[in-house]
Amino acid sequence: MNQFNTFLASFKNLTTAGYLFYGLGLITLISAISVVTAKNPIHSVLALIFTFFCLTGHYMLLNAQFLAIVNIIVYAGAIMVLFLFAIMFLNLKEEDEEAKTNVTKMAAVIVGGVLMVLLLSIFNYAPVGTYNPASFDAKTGLVERLGIVLYSDYILPFELASILFLVAMVGAVMLGKREAGDPHF
Amino acid sequence: MTFQTYDCLQMLPIILLSLSGIALLFLGFQKSRALLLPATLLFLVIAFVANFLDWGKTYMYFRDMLLVNNLAMIFTGVVLLSTFMVVSLSGSLADDEDAQPAEYYAILLFSLVGAIMMIGFENLIMLFVGVEILSVAMYILTGSDKRNLRSNEAALKYFLMGAFATGILLFGIALLYGATGSFVLSGIGNYAHSATNAGGSMLLFYVGMFMLLIGMLFKVSAAPFHFWTPDVYDGAPSLFTAYMSTVVKTAGFAALLRILSVSFSGVYDFWWVAMAVVTVLTLLIGNITAVYQASFKRMMAYSSISHAGYLLIGLVGLSQASKPAIAFYSLAYSLSTIAAFGVLMLVARNRPLNAAVFGDQTTLARTDEHYDAFNGLARKNPLLGFVMAVSMLSLAGIPLTAGFWGKFMVFSAAADRGAVWLLVVAVLMSAVGIYYYFRVVIAMYFREGQTDTIRVAPFYRIVLIAATVLTLALGLLPNLFQGLI
Amino acid sequence: MQPNDVAVNIPEVIQQIPLNYYLIFSTALFVIGIIGVLTRRNAIIIFMSIELMLNAVNTLLIAFSSYRSDPTGQVFVFFIMAVAAAEVSVGLAIIVMIYRNIRTIDVGVLNKLKW
Repeated sequence: MNQFNTFLASFKNLTTAGYLFYGLGLITLISAISVVTAKNPIHSVLALIFTFFCLTGHYMLLNAQFLAIVNIIVYAGAIMVLFLFAIMFLNLKEEDEEAKTNVTKMAAVIVGGVLMVLLLSIFNYAPVGTYNPASFDAKTGLVERLGIVLYSDYILPFELASILFLVAMVGAVMLGKREAGDPHF
Repeated sequence: MTFQTYDCLQMLPIILLSLSGIALLFLGFQKSRALLLPATLLFLVIAFVANFLDWGKTYMYFRDMLLVNNLAMIFTGVVLLSTFMVVSLSGSLADDEDAQPAEYYAILLFSLVGAIMMIGFENLIMLFVGVEILSVAMYILTGSDKRNLRSNEAALKYFLMGAFATGILLFGIALLYGATGSFVLSGIGNYAHSATNAGGSMLLFYVGMFMLLIGMLFKVSAAPFHFWTPDVYDGAPSLFTAYMSTVVKTAGFAALLRILSVSFSGVYDFWWVAMAVVTVLTLLIGNITAVYQASFKRMMAYSSISHAGYLLIGLVGLSQASKPAIAFYSLAYSLSTIAAFGVLMLVARNRPLNAAVFGDQTTLARTDEHYDAFNGLARKNPLLGFVMAVSMLSLAGIPLTAGFWGKFMVFSAAADRGAVWLLVVAVLMSAVGIYYYFRVVIAMYFREGQTDTIRVAPFYRIVLIAATVLTLALGLLPNLFQGLI
Repeated sequence: MQPNDVAVNIPEVIQQIPLNYYLIFSTALFVIGIIGVLTRRNAIIIFMSIELMLNAVNTLLIAFSSYRSDPTGQVFVFFIMAVAAAEVSVGLAIIVMIYRNIRTIDVGVLNKLKW
């Protein structure tokens, strides 16, 4: 209870950005839940896109401007369009999803709930520290800082990630290609 | 920043493998497929030689990204040798209308880059990118038999489970970063040492460590995270099952060994019980379920789970001795597994089961991979019988084979830590293993069957013989290998 | 620089919200993803739940990185995004391949084919 009271007291002293965190956080979680529960796959995709936009808001609040933009371009822009494209392409409708038996569903939700309670109770006590006002650098999330780190310390994984793209490209073409005799959808 | 020339020279295996993969893709434009196999083998030999150029030196490359030392070179050597053998068993791809060998070989070579990253990583980002390169390549190769529904199903299962495991691995990495403020292995190790001594709360660190380990155990198919393995290994084309059960496992254990010995050795008391429980579960589930399999290929999938258990014993008894032990075990296991799959592919090739029709056009083409397929094999094909028998003996851990010394070294590493009850379980389970490995030997030598003489290409024959000779040589003279490390 | 100037530069969220809340928030997102993987049968929706899990990781890494002014965490997020894009392309290719063969992507139907 004591914890809750201090939380309430701090809640009253928040500025706009602080309220934005709670508001956005709540909306993010709700739309994430609707990704998982929506019957129609297209609704799921739209909810996921909305979740990504909310997360971009969080990144903005955290001063990670570059990743906020990249999140929109890569996730909401490229990845989700790919998902939407696949769903339209395959013409999936609501009926396509038969429900798993209620027992397995309940079991999965219980497992997830237990995991959540366990992790949250652990993290509630975990000392994670906080920001250090003396050495805080507000420019951490800008392209300049990230670029320097990426192209000096992290040059090797950066280069080798290209191998991953090559594999993915070759593989996606090989698997997705229509062979002679396959239907045109 | 400046690159010193030696920086690039030591990266030779990675550079060579990437370039030769691209070269192979271009070779695929040619009408004739005759050049692909020899070119791939040549590239692998060059990479193998380049790998050992710096024998005896230890380097840390690219600002603490990649460590190259003798142990890493040995693991890389094992991985390259396994790939060489798997690729040389793939001669029939050139005649297969539906196959795309240029792409397969290129993806195999690219995936080796991921394996090398996992073997020598010093920064968790290298582990992550390496795991992903290897996994994505494996998802593709698992599904490479596009018209075969079993291959399709295996690819989807592997993909969903693998991506799920990656998510857990990443959450673990994020928590470790939150706890230690570093992605570098030695940085995390320093934190573990100092925080244990300081006595502060390390909750975040422990949760992160376990999530990271769960993600990695998923990838090496240790129980209880093994449930995808039988279906995936069974559904994938045999050639790629051989690759998956050797190269992926070797790289995964090299990565686990590195992270446990560098980062988490300071909190050994905290994780060894959990790892021991996983080990016992893996041994029990792998060996006991393998007994009930009717299909040889599915038995090999469970056998690979049980061997993950034996390798985990080496990790539980973490010490200096367990590094060469795990390397030797991986080599022995890879040699016999690839030889066994080589014989299986020959036996199964001419024995298609009735193809079932599903939907409007897909056929469930499947070859006969049951134990019965081996009945009477040794009468007409003494060489194949002998190769198979030696690899089964080695997998079962019978003396005079490499597998025996592999088990011996791993067990003695654990015995030094005093984990005797673990060894009791392991020895009992090895006895169970003898039962199912000998079923094949009995089928080959003592059962009647209508096997014809199987035509074996000369090069295929040489590779099978070489694997057998190596298995026996390592069994007779294990010091040959031990002296290297 | 005056201490006051520094405080002005620090984002308000970082000043007002404890880092623990971000940990709790991303854990909640992560567990929602896990529940999605366990409960759904449509391969694409399982896949989207995995994307949710990855985004929870991204949020956590960015929070740690911003609170500590350490850019490496954000560089890692950059890699996760790149890898996720590659994974999505392969995953959707596999799903399209299966749909071509059996006209459904229900994981349950595939299970029935087990030998």
